[in-house]
Amino acid sequence: MKTMRLFPLELRRLLQSRLTWLIMALTVLSPVLGLVLYKPATSTTMLSVYLANPAMAGGVAGAILFGLLAIFELDRARRSRVDILTDAMVSPLTTALTRLLALLTAAVLTAGLTMLVWLPISAGLIGSVFTGANYVLAYLLLMGLALPLGILAAAAAYQFTRRADLSIVLFIAFCALSLTVWADDWQLCWLNPCVWALSDDFSNFRVFRSVAWMRLTWLAALAGVWTVSYLCIRQYGKGMFGSLARSVRRIYRPAVALALLAFSGTAYAAQPFIDQSNPDLTVMSFYEIPYAEGVTFLGRSAQVFPDTAAGTVTGRASYRFQNTSGQEQSISFGINPGYAISNVQTNGADVPFTVSDYQEYNEALLEVTIPAEEEVELTMEYSGFPQESMPTMQGGKELSSEYLCLENSTLSPRVMNVMPGEAGYPAEIEITLPDSMIAIPFSSSEAEVISENADGTRTWRYEANSAGGILYAGDYICEQIEAGGMTIEFYYGRKHQAVMEEAGAVDAVKAVVDYCTEHYGTLSFGTGETLKLIQSRVAGGGYAVGGASLLDEADFTIANLGDTDKGVVPGEIFIHELVHQWWGLGNMFDTSDSTSPWSSEGLTVYTTYRIVKELYGADYAQQYYVDQWQQVVDDYYLNFYVRHPEYLEMLPEAERLNIAGGLSGVRRYNEMPLKILKAEQLVGGEEAMDQILRGLFNRELDPMYPYLTYQEFLDTCHLTEEDLNLG
Amino acid sequence: MGKIFRYECRRLLWNKFFIGLAVVLLLYGALVLHSVTILGVSHTAPFSPWSFGDYLSRMMLLLWLGMLFFLTFYTSPQARRAAILMDATPMPPKQYALARCAAALTGGALLTLLCMVEAAVFYGRMFHWYSWGSLLLPALVTLLPALVFALGSGWLAGQIRPWLVYVWMAVPFLLAALPLPEALGLWNGSFFTAYPLTLETLDPAFTVPEVVLLPQGIALAAGIVLLTAWQNRYPAAA
Ligand SMILES: [Zn+2]
Repeated sequence: MKTMRLFPLELRRLLQSRLTWLIMALTVLSPVLGLVLYKPATSTTMLSVYLANPAMAGGVAGAILFGLLAIFELDRARRSRVDILTDAMVSPLTTALTRLLALLTAAVLTAGLTMLVWLPISAGLIGSVFTGANYVLAYLLLMGLALPLGILAAAAAYQFTRRADLSIVLFIAFCALSLTVWADDWQLCWLNPCVWALSDDFSNFRVFRSVAWMRLTWLAALAGVWTVSYLCIRQYGKGMFGSLARSVRRIYRPAVALALLAFSGTAYAAQPFIDQSNPDLTVMSFYEIPYAEGVTFLGRSAQVFPDTAAGTVTGRASYRFQNTSGQEQSISFGINPGYAISNVQTNGADVPFTVSDYQEYNEALLEVTIPAEEEVELTMEYSGFPQESMPTMQGGKELSSEYLCLENSTLSPRVMNVMPGEAGYPAEIEITLPDSMIAIPFSSSEAEVISENADGTRTWRYEANSAGGILYAGDYICEQIEAGGMTIEFYYGRKHQAVMEEAGAVDAVKAVVDYCTEHYGTLSFGTGETLKLIQSRVAGGGYAVGGASLLDEADFTIANLGDTDKGVVPGEIFIHELVHQWWGLGNMFDTSDSTSPWSSEGLTVYTTYRIVKELYGADYAQQYYVDQWQQVVDDYYLNFYVRHPEYLEMLPEAERLNIAGGLSGVRRYNEMPLKILKAEQLVGGEEAMDQILRGLFNRELDPMYPYLTYQEFLDTCHLTEEDLNLG
Repeated sequence: MGKIFRYECRRLLWNKFFIGLAVVLLLYGALVLHSVTILGVSHTAPFSPWSFGDYLSRMMLLLWLGMLFFLTFYTSPQARRAAILMDATPMPPKQYALARCAAALTGGALLTLLCMVEAAVFYGRMFHWYSWGSLLLPALVTLLPALVFALGSGWLAGQIRPWLVYVWMAVPFLLAALPLPEALGLWNGSFFTAYPLTLETLDPAFTVPEVVLLPQGIALAAGIVLLTAWQNRYPAAA
């Protein structure tokens, strides 16, 4: 084929152009933008900061640069009269295809070069949690695949318009669309994938799968558009439509274009990642389903089989109900919208069921009619790829041999309209996992291994008492720590071992739990005997239930542990994050106003300072805490926007919120602790303050508004807001 | 003379490369303005001469690069071969050189202007602020010496070896990474963030100490000398 013969010539010519090398050099350099300026991934894990952001910045810059290069090349070649290909008297179609292949090859070379250049830098920046698989996947998907998209889009624009200026404008507009209007639409943002976080300690296959899906969808779409533009290449001196009419005579050409576009459309419509949950989060119609009359819950069991290679789940669930109504009853279940339900039987006989198209809070509604028998055993099977609801925060349903988190209806269909029986909602869950994984029910239940299977898996069983329930499993290390009169089971990811040891995690847990239990009281969600502290995959915050509490891995990265805003030595940030179990989870704070200086951080930073003072002495605490707060607060009062709030008001909303957020961060972490310190002096010293805090921590909660407010704090101290003004 | 200048300008500026560079420059500028300049440097307003200077010194990386890329139109082997042909034309070569130098400077000035207009639009849109006069001094002090020096030294590098121009493009990136002494603060932008803090007043007026002005003066002078040498050396180069 002529293309094959011409390709080496064209590639050599392309690589001899200084512009090509400039573009390649800029592209290789461009990930640096992700370190300093362009940071679409907002999480603070090491991989988000040092891998996702540079790779995405490289993808955006590289796609734009290669798009421009494609336009330059096509335009230059068209004008030039000394072109090799033109000289060879080949058809313009062959020429176009050859040029595209040469450009794509240059893009592949550039992506490879970028990976080589950034490998040592990334490995150095990321440290002990760096893995080759994450690196390669991130650069391939977040950066590499952006380049061919840029080339295809730009080349298509040029082939349609045959004008460099016009196609540059079209191409830039197409890029701008992705960066602005489409930025939060995970399927449309072809240039900048919707990645908010990559996990350091656990795998990231879910996010990578989703990005790969988006890229391939666009690759097919743009390849299809390019093929159409290729058919429009002017030849035989005809115009666009004349050329098109001629080009489509070879039927396989339009067929390829149509097939690509159809494939892309199908991939767009049939994506398996995100459900169709009602975006209005105030609607909770599933909670309004009336209870089935005369039906009570006797028990349930489930056998769950995650397929860690495919990221899917299959399971069998069985429910026992008592139906005293003497009539058929409709039972409602919440199921993950990605699951297909089959084989629904009651007392051994098939019964009809429906699954709603309407979805809400990541659940679809499954309705099954049970017969009018006194005791009913309902069994069903479910399987599928668990779907998520939030396209801008994907990754929560990660399911691999390193990590999984199955919540409520994703673990097993959740009964929604049956009253609890005498024993509540007793449940017995069995899950079969690869033998590297530990199962950790997110409650006070303990899972135990009931069988070791021949295929290298182990089956775990635990009992629980709820209609839903959350299960974590992963390649965890467990440390047992005796502190504050209870046993703390501290689970963290194996990859995090080095960091945790460096931070003196176990000592810190002990110090904090002892201190806080003594000064403030026991945690309401501890069962009194044990408390599980589980480090989760990056999730955007922690939460707690009876017997277990979650720590977000993003709070425990090497970089965060060195952040002097929250502590000075690695152990201290750890102390800070654990103190949040008391101030933040044990006592909640209203987070609706993100600019309020009063938050869980004030008391947490203050308590951290007290613990550090006890551990390392007053001088140390003064130097690294009080003096630092003072310095940051001094700077804060000098800030331009603080001195001239009218300019802050002028800014567009996004910019204003961003700056106000930064400023209120300073106030939360530095100004508020200083104010609490001032309050401590005004109420008569540390012991008096400890009494006040103890009283606040154990106060009677209003279930409608369980938050600790600044006013409550001031009232208990018998102080006013003005008393605590600084300076 | 005017005709050659216009011809050279068109050759340099009316091509896709210039348009592409302008696009990249504007995108990068928008990124800097929205993520860095908007915060203001050293407690000053985002539209203070200090913050504006910081913006310009960040843009200088690309301006320098663009300036040198203009030069490659003249120093590349193909361009040199073409120069031999041109010597056959009746036009005195010295005027050719002058026209090219002027065209490259015009290109640089246009790109600079683009950056400044972008900032002005940003200030107007975000803060309804239009006192652009106060920004001229930092622009002049930062960019004029750097760009004239870029052109002069780049030309010299191109005379030695054509590929040296490309190496020379990396200089500002290197400067940005190196811990330079205070006197060279304008070359990596640290001057705009560090100096106002030493003035011990809030929102200080824009001043540049002599110790910082001196290297700028030297760079400007060196750039002019090199450019003059270009004019004189031209026949020999061909
Ligand atoms: Zn905190």
